[in-house]
Amino acid sequence: MLIRVLFSVLTLALAPVAAHAATANIDVRGADGRPLTGAVVMIDTPRKPAPPIRFDWGTAMAQRNIQFDPHVLIVPVGSTVTFPNFDKVRHHVYSFSKAKKFDLKLYGKDDTRSVVFDHTGAVALGCNIHDQMSAFILVVDTPFAVQTDATGHATIANLPAGGVTVRIWHPSIRAPDNMLAQPATVAATGFTNTYTIRGK
Amino acid sequence: MIRPAHAPAPRIGGRVGRLFDFRHLRTRLAVLYAGLFAMTLIAVAIVAQVMIRSHAQGAVRAELTTSGTVYDRIWALRAKSLASSADVLARDFGFRTAVASGDRPTIASAVANLRTRAGVGNAFVVDIDGEVIGEGPADLRAAITALPSTFANGSNNAVIVTDAGTYRLIVAPILAPVQIGQVVFAVPLDETEMRALERLSAIPLNATMLHRRADGHWVASDRPGAGDAVLDRFVAGAIASNGATPATLDLPAGKSFALAIPLAGRGPKPEAALLLSYPLGKALASYRSLQIGIALAGLIGLVLVLLGSRRLASGIARPIAALDAAAKALEEGSRAELKVEGSDEISRLAESFNTMSAGILEREHRITHLAFHDSLTGLPNRTYFRQQLEAALLRAPKMAEKAAVLCLDLDGFKGVNDTLGHPIGDALLRQVGLMLDDLVQDGTVSRLGGDEFAIILSGRLDTDRTRSLSQQIIDTFRAPILVEGHQIATGVSIGIAIGPADGEDADLLLKSADLALYRAKQDGRGVFRFFEPALDAAARKRRQLELDLREALLTGQFRLNYQPIFDLKQDRIGCFESLLRWEHPVRGNVSPVEFIPVAEETGLIVAIGEWVMHEACRQASEWPDHVRVAVNVSPLQFRNSGFSNIIFQALTRSGLPANRLEIEITESVFLEGEGGVLQVLHQLRGMGVRIALDDFGTGYSSLSYLRSFPFDKIKIDKSFVDRVAQDESSAAIVLAILDLAKALKMETTAEGVEDRDQLNQLRGQGCSSIQGYWFSRPVEGAAVLGLIAGPMSAAA
Repeated sequence: MLIRVLFSVLTLALAPVAAHAATANIDVRGADGRPLTGAVVMIDTPRKPAPPIRFDWGTAMAQRNIQFDPHVLIVPVGSTVTFPNFDKVRHHVYSFSKAKKFDLKLYGKDDTRSVVFDHTGAVALGCNIHDQMSAFILVVDTPFAVQTDATGHATIANLPAGGVTVRIWHPSIRAPDNMLAQPATVAATGFTNTYTIRGK
Repeated sequence: MIRPAHAPAPRIGGRVGRLFDFRHLRTRLAVLYAGLFAMTLIAVAIVAQVMIRSHAQGAVRAELTTSGTVYDRIWALRAKSLASSADVLARDFGFRTAVASGDRPTIASAVANLRTRAGVGNAFVVDIDGEVIGEGPADLRAAITALPSTFANGSNNAVIVTDAGTYRLIVAPILAPVQIGQVVFAVPLDETEMRALERLSAIPLNATMLHRRADGHWVASDRPGAGDAVLDRFVAGAIASNGATPATLDLPAGKSFALAIPLAGRGPKPEAALLLSYPLGKALASYRSLQIGIALAGLIGLVLVLLGSRRLASGIARPIAALDAAAKALEEGSRAELKVEGSDEISRLAESFNTMSAGILEREHRITHLAFHDSLTGLPNRTYFRQQLEAALLRAPKMAEKAAVLCLDLDGFKGVNDTLGHPIGDALLRQVGLMLDDLVQDGTVSRLGGDEFAIILSGRLDTDRTRSLSQQIIDTFRAPILVEGHQIATGVSIGIAIGPADGEDADLLLKSADLALYRAKQDGRGVFRFFEPALDAAARKRRQLELDLREALLTGQFRLNYQPIFDLKQDRIGCFESLLRWEHPVRGNVSPVEFIPVAEETGLIVAIGEWVMHEACRQASEWPDHVRVAVNVSPLQFRNSGFSNIIFQALTRSGLPANRLEIEITESVFLEGEGGVLQVLHQLRGMGVRIALDDFGTGYSSLSYLRSFPFDKIKIDKSFVDRVAQDESSAAIVLAILDLAKALKMETTAEGVEDRDQLNQLRGQGCSSIQGYWFSRPVEGAAVLGLIAGPMSAAA
């Protein structure tokens, strides 16, 4: 089956460039038109912000109740992500993703392993023991990255106005690295857009 | 069972003909039964055929459906097993590692390993970029570069059609944990697979793959050809109804039951279908023995029914045919009787027939007996007599034999009937019959009718035999016969004729015997007479005379002549005696001596006498008052009961005074007894008619007559008058008669006076009147008046 994904820019209000930070309000819709939760919206600015980049949700990918927690973790590139195991059972966490291949052989409760993610990209995590365990770590080099909430909405503040690239990732996106990118211009007043992922 | 008592032997040739001859009850029954049974058989055969066919179809349908279901199940199981095999590989960490790292040699070896392990024709790994790793036909490889992780129907397997053939694909995703590729099994649905599938079925059905070509037609994968609209429709129907409705289809193997099972493909439309078929011929083959069995049983049954119904029909028809034959025989008059066995309706019918037949025969005998026998005496009748006589006459000349006929007649039988009544007469006839039958042992006694009997004697007989028999019969009947208390004195007269001399045929001979009988009766009765040829001639003459007499009476050939009677006292003609003359047209004058006896025998004398009476009175009425007319009356006339009436009428019609009519009778009227005669005479006398006694002195003259009736006149016979002048004795007799008449106060007439001497003698002795040639011959009626007026009247 072929899946084509189209970006449709519904509205784009061009505003005068402001020196001050602007806020982007982005809605993501799935192919069925419903809000897509758990999609990662990233905005690349022409000027890379100075490191270090920090996200307030930390860099831990816990295993709890034989599930990864959280399901999607956004970390800045070069981060060391810990894999604390809160379950009574042992896990064998692995990834075959190009961004980071690793293999944390069986480790038990209250054992913590850590892995440094030094390339940007999406890393799919699995457990070789428990098939149902699945998680993603998005390694980014931009501070403007956030997950859509339950309504498929993402708010990114403090954006510098000007041309940017909006990237959206979600496991269901049938594209290399499950990621789509589209240029956009952020006005000083902010940027509002709805992205609908179309595909068959 | 009944059989004709005399059944004719059946002809062999006729038997075959009879079998198909619908006029025979038997054939019709047999054909009816056989036809009905054959029809039933045909119906049964049709029903059986239909049921067999429908059963076979049902069985094959069920089997096809089952096979389809089994196929589905097996494929579901196999797909599951293959899927799990693929899954095992796809989930293998090492394998996943190899796929993730793009380690082609490792992947290829793993796929080869998997192919061997799962026993699958083709196994591939297709990575997320569509690269295909694994050995297989290029077309197949191309077809599987981009497959979804699940197919349209949500299953992990699908049937696809490629140029390399039809394949069933089983896919298993490789997850790490996101999908990084697919393990694909491709099972070729080729001949081997089909044969394996066929082996699964309980019946030897054919499995064929169908696929849809680019042009939309469905074709068999193993037999590519042009598209077939019927097949297209069939498969389309199967897809539309989602499988399993078997139908009949024309396939290369022949007419077959077929079931198309659509196989899910990549997309919503199936690309291939499985065609399960079963040739009709094969399906019905297993019932062939049953069909043959039914047909055989039917044939045997038909033959049995034919034989049985023929037998049954024969059982019914044979007695009827026998009845038919017997009835025909009876119709033709021969005796027919049936043997009766059993007690069914036909036997009872036969019994009734026998009774009827016997009754008919009995009646026939009775009728025959009645036809040939006299019911009164039981003797053979005239018909039978004639037949016997003819037979005897036919036989006679060949055997130098003779046949004698004795005709018998009872003397005075009429008197018996009149005086004693018919019952006594009949009893007398019966008695006579019995007696005759007793007397005649060597002949046939018949009753010809009335009191006439006849006897036939035949064989080598001589006249003595007939003579002695006749005498014996006459002697026997001379004695009185006792009949019901009455002593009846009778006698027989017998006429005998002997054939063939006296008559060549029965009628002639009988006539001859009759003539002889007539002669015997004439000769005083109680005698027998043989036939003589003269008798025959006389009889013939007499019969002719009789015919002529009747003719004469009708055509007026008679006339009356008159001879005057001269009254010597008054010296004038006082009377004319009327004399009958017959002027025969051929023979001229016929003498009364010749024809009067015949007229008397035949009874014609009564009619002739009546004519004479009228004629005489008519002519006399024209004469002078003192002239009377005298008319001779025969005893036969006199005994006729209407005699005085006739005279009365003659007098009335002519107007002649009764005292001018003089009736002349002879003494013979008294022969039959005096009583009746005297009564008539007194009656006539009462009317005033004069009575004269004619021919006095001849015959059996008796003076007692003169005492018993006062005649007006006595006529002295010519034989005395002839010699009255020469012969003293004659003169003495005449004188005595004259004296007697004078004493009795009767007039006298002397007849046959021919000369003066006689006249003088008679006048001298006191005779009242004379008649004769001396005075006048008889004259015509027209000359009478002239004679009265003429000189001759006073000549004397």
